[in-house]
Amino acid sequence: MIEFTLYGIRVQTDESPDTPLLWAVRDTFKLKGSKFGCGAGFCGSCTMHVDGEAVRTCVLPIAAVAGKAVTTIEGLAEPDQLHPLQEAWVSHSVPQCGYCQPGQIMSAAALLARNPNANEAEVESAMAGNICRCGCYPRIKQAILSVAGQASGPSLDDLATEVS
Amino acid sequence: MDGLVNVSRRRFLKASGVAGGGLVVGFTLTGCSSSAPPVVRLEGDFVPNAFLQITPENHFRFYCPRDEMGQGVNTGLTTLVAEELDVAPWEIEVLWAGVHSDYANPEFGVQGTGGSTSIKAHYRQLRQVGANVRAVLLEAAAGQLGRPVAALSTEDGHVLVDGERHPYGHFVAAAAAFAMPAEAPLKPASEFKYIGKEFARIDALEKSTGTAEFGIDIDVPGLHHGVVRRCPVAGGALKSFRDDKARSVPGITDVVEIGSGVAVVADRYWAAKKGAQALEVEWSLPPLASLDTERLQADYRVGLDRDGDVTGERGDLDAGFRQASQVVDNEYWAPYLAHAPMEPMNAVVRIEGGEADVWTGSQGIVAAQGLVARYSGLEKSKVRAHNTYLGGGFGRRATLTHVIEATQLAVATGKPIKVLWSREDDIQSGIYRPASLMRIKAGVDDAGRLTAWQAKRVGGNITPDTLGNMMPALLPGAVGDGVIDWMVGLADGAFDGWVVDHSSIEGLYEDYDTPNREVRHVTVNHGLPLTFWRSVGHSYTAFAKETMMDELAAKAGLDAVEFRLRNTQDKPRLHNVIRVAGERLRQWPRRPGRHLGFAAHSSFSTDVAEVAEVSVDNGAIKVHRVLCVVDCGVAVNPDIVRAQMEGSVMYGLTAALHGELDLENGAIKQSNFHDYPILRMNEAPAVDVVIIDSTEEPTGVGEPGLPPIAPAVANAVFAATGQRLRSLPLKLA
Ligand code: FES
Ligand code: FES
Repeated sequence: MIEFTLYGIRVQTDESPDTPLLWAVRDTFKLKGSKFGCGAGFCGSCTMHVDGEAVRTCVLPIAAVAGKAVTTIEGLAEPDQLHPLQEAWVSHSVPQCGYCQPGQIMSAAALLARNPNANEAEVESAMAGNICRCGCYPRIKQAILSVAGQASGPSLDDLATEVS
Repeated sequence: MDGLVNVSRRRFLKASGVAGGGLVVGFTLTGCSSSAPPVVRLEGDFVPNAFLQITPENHFRFYCPRDEMGQGVNTGLTTLVAEELDVAPWEIEVLWAGVHSDYANPEFGVQGTGGSTSIKAHYRQLRQVGANVRAVLLEAAAGQLGRPVAALSTEDGHVLVDGERHPYGHFVAAAAAFAMPAEAPLKPASEFKYIGKEFARIDALEKSTGTAEFGIDIDVPGLHHGVVRRCPVAGGALKSFRDDKARSVPGITDVVEIGSGVAVVADRYWAAKKGAQALEVEWSLPPLASLDTERLQADYRVGLDRDGDVTGERGDLDAGFRQASQVVDNEYWAPYLAHAPMEPMNAVVRIEGGEADVWTGSQGIVAAQGLVARYSGLEKSKVRAHNTYLGGGFGRRATLTHVIEATQLAVATGKPIKVLWSREDDIQSGIYRPASLMRIKAGVDDAGRLTAWQAKRVGGNITPDTLGNMMPALLPGAVGDGVIDWMVGLADGAFDGWVVDHSSIEGLYEDYDTPNREVRHVTVNHGLPLTFWRSVGHSYTAFAKETMMDELAAKAGLDAVEFRLRNTQDKPRLHNVIRVAGERLRQWPRRPGRHLGFAAHSSFSTDVAEVAEVSVDNGAIKVHRVLCVVDCGVAVNPDIVRAQMEGSVMYGLTAALHGELDLENGAIKQSNFHDYPILRMNEAPAVDVVIIDSTEEPTGVGEPGLPPIAPAVANAVFAATGQRLRSLPLKLA
């Protein structure tokens, strides 16, 4: 029997200890917001917070989270509230297919929790583990920078005016 | 767009009250007719057609006939109907249409989403639907309020009269009695409130909160999970297997031989996965098992010397080459690619009491229904097909092997089954963008005009494979499996030597004014299954054509833009995007170490020109910025058009810089994102999109941004290094 907390609620499971956290959360606890993309730690679709750190849960056995605090996209904000990143995601119309976005947001939220004013380079390096096959990267970056209070990179028009 | 966050939040709260929305079972309007559309009825509702449903409480539902895979079609199509109905698109609840002929893609005649057709195909139809329903509501209102229709106007789902606002819902009961006008007048573009305007896509909130439901999220009571072991070489057959180790994994309930291999079924995914790994399987390998990439390329090279089949002939090629002062003759290579949508293939099938349900995010829900019927033996009318959000499509979700697998397992075990493919399955057991060897020989005269264009492509044909895969789903139930196998086999060879599959050569020759031309296709097909991959033939032909144009421009002593302008006199829209992008290129803020490349291409009736700003450092190509100028007619939602251009650039850059599948003993060597890398944020350029103002009807948006990016980057790499790269992915010597 392995016990941990799922956004504050104590939960336990008798699944085999090598079961990745992703599948315990999806199949046993029926929280479907965290996604399966590669099963090998390459894409970040399955990102959750474990004790506040962004973790790839498709390769994290539940044995490793015993006694720890797990948060998924469902628990990122207070009920019926949005996390500032989620507000920014909507106002920037970030998602295309949307499949990678819970993982993207969880990675970004962990970054801003430890570095609230992350700059462009810091955002790029923190987000490099999350693939978006639809290619929403420019908007993901802008949305995060807007919450971090940082200006986005200049547009071609901005650059042209700078030069002339 | 702050107000929209609040609007979306309301929608979210509303939606979150409907747990397991995907499990609602549709029933027909009359309860008996097989021809009524599957609409979930609400108390006192008004259902004037297959698309709209309005309740007395003024709740609006739109049954979205096309599949949402990221291209924003739910926002776009809802906008069309909303504009003429005069309701804000974000006030309308959007449901996925079930199977019904009214939901056919007007361009295909069947339900299917692809080919960048959705907005273009439904532009008039869905506006007409909205306009007709509004007209009927006005008539009902006029009767009920005792005022002439001319005294009434509408706004935001309300009828306005004498300073009063009456919700449409008040008139739905009366409206049901009125005959629908055939063609109520449509709004002139000058009165559009939503078409062409900026607002957040309607699904942004669901997709930012983890509440958007994809196929992989579907759960039904008693659901079991199937994981399939398939032959590593396409077309191989099961010889034998041992399952004692697999069966010892706790939770395993069944081990079943199915068409595509052996499946392990368990009460949870992880157990099924472990069980499948523990299977010991032997395969009978097909002839493809002797193939590797080197031999494939050698076979293609031999093919290049064959005559093949001719298409696109015009003028006199020999005369054209005689008029040329410069001739360039090059070969181009593009490898096999997987689509790798973020959500791996999956489907849930439940068969109970002589009826079946299938849930899957597909690009053709009618094919899902057909396959379940075919492989369960049930009539199609007994199979309810439910769509979901698609975690990416790109052409991959038109082929539904996973639905066949789930059906066979549901039949064999009697349990509701979810089949989920792994990423390895997706890359190694999928269906692919074909490899291509191309040759272009072209001549240009002293005035910088093309005089001759001779092109040839060697490779497998795209359309027959896809049709072959769909055929079992689309043929009537009376046709036996043996006959189907025979027909599918026929389709495989149907195009060889009969007619050229246009998808396989599209984009190789059409764009420029060439008085003398010839296009040939040589079919060399080794049996790896092929299908449409975002922008299809254009994904490789544009690379060959547009890097060739760069070389020809240099030979003619003209710059890349001027040369293309001179050769697009007959193509005003393409000419114009080239001109606009060319102006921006001239004013480009130059930086040391950065080099520019240009390319233009027409596909799916849309014209795009792109500029790529690139640097090369120690052989590594970095793309910093991309300008994309697009003419797609009316941009129904300009922000979604921009997003599609951005996304197409990224998808195309993955192919340009990384994308490559190799064959080794007939099997795909790559397996996951470590050796089939996808562009990441730190490699992603800034993208500036310019949408040409237009009053012409909309054309495609989901794909046309992709074809020009690889050649634009290759042309920039030439500017940076002097190396002409003629193979994809781009690698410096
Ligand atoms: S699914 Fe976990 S990193 Fe890809
Ligand atoms: S939005 Fe589709 S994968 Fe990111």
